[in-house]
Amino acid sequence: MPSPDLLALAVTLKMAALTTVILLLIGTPLAWFLAKMTSRFKVIIEAIVALPLVLPPTVLGFYLLIAFSPQHLPGQMWQQVTGQQLAFSFSAIVTGSVLYSLPFVVQPLQKAFEQLGGSLLEAGAMLGAGPIDRFFTIVLPLTKSSFITAASLGFAHTVGEFGVILMIGGNIPGETRVLSIALFDHVEAFDYAKAHVLAISLLIGSMILLASVYLLNLPRLKTGKRAN
Amino acid sequence: MTILNLDFNLHYKSFDFAINQVLDLKGITGVFGHSGSGKSTLLRAIAGLEKNITGSIVLNEKTFIDTSQNLGVKPEQRNISLVFQDSRLFPHLTVRDNLKYAARRCVSSQLNLIDILRLTELDHLADANVTDLSSGQKQRVALARALLTEPKLLLLDEPLSALDQVSKTKLLGLIVKVQQQLNLPILYVSHSLDELQQVCDNLLILSQGKVINYGNIHHTIHQLNFLSARLPNEQLIHQQTSLSLPIASTDNGQGLMVLALAEQEILLPRLPGELTKHKHLRCFILASDISICLSESQNSTIVNHVSGTIKAIESSSLDESTHSVLVTVICSGQEFFVHISTYSQQKLALCINQQVYLQFKAGAVRTYLY
Repeated sequence: MPSPDLLALAVTLKMAALTTVILLLIGTPLAWFLAKMTSRFKVIIEAIVALPLVLPPTVLGFYLLIAFSPQHLPGQMWQQVTGQQLAFSFSAIVTGSVLYSLPFVVQPLQKAFEQLGGSLLEAGAMLGAGPIDRFFTIVLPLTKSSFITAASLGFAHTVGEFGVILMIGGNIPGETRVLSIALFDHVEAFDYAKAHVLAISLLIGSMILLASVYLLNLPRLKTGKRAN
Repeated sequence: MTILNLDFNLHYKSFDFAINQVLDLKGITGVFGHSGSGKSTLLRAIAGLEKNITGSIVLNEKTFIDTSQNLGVKPEQRNISLVFQDSRLFPHLTVRDNLKYAARRCVSSQLNLIDILRLTELDHLADANVTDLSSGQKQRVALARALLTEPKLLLLDEPLSALDQVSKTKLLGLIVKVQQQLNLPILYVSHSLDELQQVCDNLLILSQGKVINYGNIHHTIHQLNFLSARLPNEQLIHQQTSLSLPIASTDNGQGLMVLALAEQEILLPRLPGELTKHKHLRCFILASDISICLSESQNSTIVNHVSGTIKAIESSSLDESTHSVLVTVICSGQEFFVHISTYSQQKLALCINQQVYLQFKAGAVRTYLY
């Protein structure tokens, strides 16, 4: 039986990894759509995506808690499909994280797609490349650094999540008890020694992650200056 | 034979474009017009990059778009290639990989990448990073890349505009060479008539989103002389004589090149060695650079004296106050256009069918080639 803190670490990493994958899968098309969108409704979608940046996490958590409860439609539907309750489950904290970290993935990607513009894609079309081909052979290689940034920010932000998980997670060991909650528990129990270990680990871990991202994106200074 | 049937229109907030024209794409067809005339719009429409088109575009039997039948072929499926003004090379790929990008997506693959590298003189740059190339080299890569898609039609959108004069001449020569070796129809857009005069077989003139003339290059330029006079708001071109003459001698021993105008001769300053391979030279003489003499002058520094007969005298502008006329003179079957003042016309009492001599300096015979 691993220590409760190691278990919390495992849950945290699993949640953050899964969230990051889901965010890249839905964030990429959303960012592309926003980058190409010219309608005036664009600002509304952009505002919705950016909401988690300014909203207290407890507000988001509160509404999610209500939505995930078996009395409301999303919770009901989830229960019908999976046979399990959504609130206070691992799926709930992943869903919450996806919404909470959405702007951290969508915004850098949207900016990268906007900067890339359409001219190289037109050139690609003139060479016989279809839309999917163009995405993987032109867009992806040229916006690679933004994808790295987006994925890392999404991951790190999810690891650091507290308020939303507190509202919808329920602090179940091995299921929804993540590092930030475990830290809070130690502090509440006046176990500062254990709290220190978790706090310093999160601090150093985040520091290393961000430093690696900046390191990976460093060559961009040299090759990022695009001709044309 | 390549027939391009254009019948469409397109509207923007401040710009309307409408065309109904059949183009017989032999060799290089130039598209000339000032900025805002719709030249690039035309190319982009043919390539499929313009949305909002109403009408049809048909290349030979293949319909690219026909909005009446709700038919539209995507740009990547038209088998047409477009060389952009700004090269648009992929910055994350080397020269070779940029070319491979095109070659891999080409269905027929008749052309060999190595051959095209050699044809476009890029062999030594194959592994270079495209961001390290000069503008001239970039355009050569863009041309090579477009060729490797083995297009049915090659579109060039101001391919020389970002280049210096030496690179311009070089790329222009390359475009002609490519056209002849691959027998590829080319539609060449430029705002420089001199550039088009040098390489095109036919010329399409656009003005404010409409075709105003189309036909043989020399003939069309000559017609523009009169159109320029009749469209007061649009100084389309400098009135000029556009020539394509056999080279009698590349150097007469005194630094002059000799062109044959039937039994008469035209002299101009000798051109760089490379051009001696050609049998003909494209050149032009501005109407304002030629003067008219009633007898052949014997004691003048002006080297060119060509005899001919006046065919027409027209006001050179709608504006009467300009006091000048455009005189058409036939010399050995070739039309020449001369711009003179009404004062001179009256002084010499010039009239139709009169025998005259045209005088112009060797340096007045211009060519785009450097």
